[in-house]
Amino acid sequence: MTNLPRERQPDSALEERIVSTLVAAGLVRRRRVWPFWAAAIAAVILIAIGGTVLRPKASPPPGNMYALLLYEDSAWTAAPAGHSDERLTEMRRWGDSLSRAGEFERAGRLIGPGPAGGLFIIRAADDAHAERIAASCPFHKWGGRVVLKRFEP
Amino acid sequence: MNDDLALVERFLRGRGEEAFRALYRAHTAALYALALRLTGGDRGEAEDLVQESWVRALTALQTFRAQSALRSWLCGVLINVRRGRMRADWRIVDTPDVEAVADATDGDDAIDLERAIAALPDGARDVYVLHDVHGYTHREIADLLGIVEGTSKSQLNRARYLLRSSLV
Repeated sequence: MTNLPRERQPDSALEERIVSTLVAAGLVRRRRVWPFWAAAIAAVILIAIGGTVLRPKASPPPGNMYALLLYEDSAWTAAPAGHSDERLTEMRRWGDSLSRAGEFERAGRLIGPGPAGGLFIIRAADDAHAERIAASCPFHKWGGRVVLKRFEP
Repeated sequence: MNDDLALVERFLRGRGEEAFRALYRAHTAALYALALRLTGGDRGEAEDLVQESWVRALTALQTFRAQSALRSWLCGVLINVRRGRMRADWRIVDTPDVEAVADATDGDDAIDLERAIAALPDGARDVYVLHDVHGYTHREIADLLGIVEGTSKSQLNRARYLLRSSLV
């Protein structure tokens, strides 16, 4: 026997490609959306709506719209059993702070292809401001990938 | 192996994405390593082979029985997928060539060996990779490749001879 490695990690994109192929072929069933997303997004939306009703909304900064794309890809670590509520609370606090500052616009979940995730539309004065908001998202702490994109509505 | 059986049973219960990903993460690195060597280091071809192998494997997974290790079974699927592709590809010609194997070496032992393996003729490379790298027996190789054990042994000798010639 030679000593050459018997395992090699392929490019991480291969996993998503193969999963998509198998789903399309009917050999694998796509997972249901992780309840974390549904709950976190619902919580942020609820806070934003409540904010507009219960208190005067801070006047939105005259700036740009940005998309924050949050991906649960290879580095993502799921919450230990019984601890998902703590993450939900952190996301809720984060959403609340955006809402209070008039920075929150919309939220949704990402539907394939690719890793599961969420989308937040935010408003920020400029790129540096948007980057500060992105960096404040607790999603980073759990190994999630956060991608920031400016767009024109 | 018990873990593998549990993963297979979990997958077959609902064919869920998470259950598949667990199987994928447990075995794809081995499948990819095998595919890379069998294709002479062609990453694109190796990825395609791995993808097609998972499609075939999931189609036939209910026929998998715990008598064999899941990894060996999956490697067998991959080898058969590749054999099917080679039959369909008239461009692949098995040409033993000592010089081609010798030209593939440049000094670093492990890299030299990988390159020299890549430059082996297909039949000899398949047997060498399965026997000397992945630890299959001649009987298992004969079953996987649809050849007799004697052919497996002679191909292994041929591969070793070509490698020795290139690496000295």
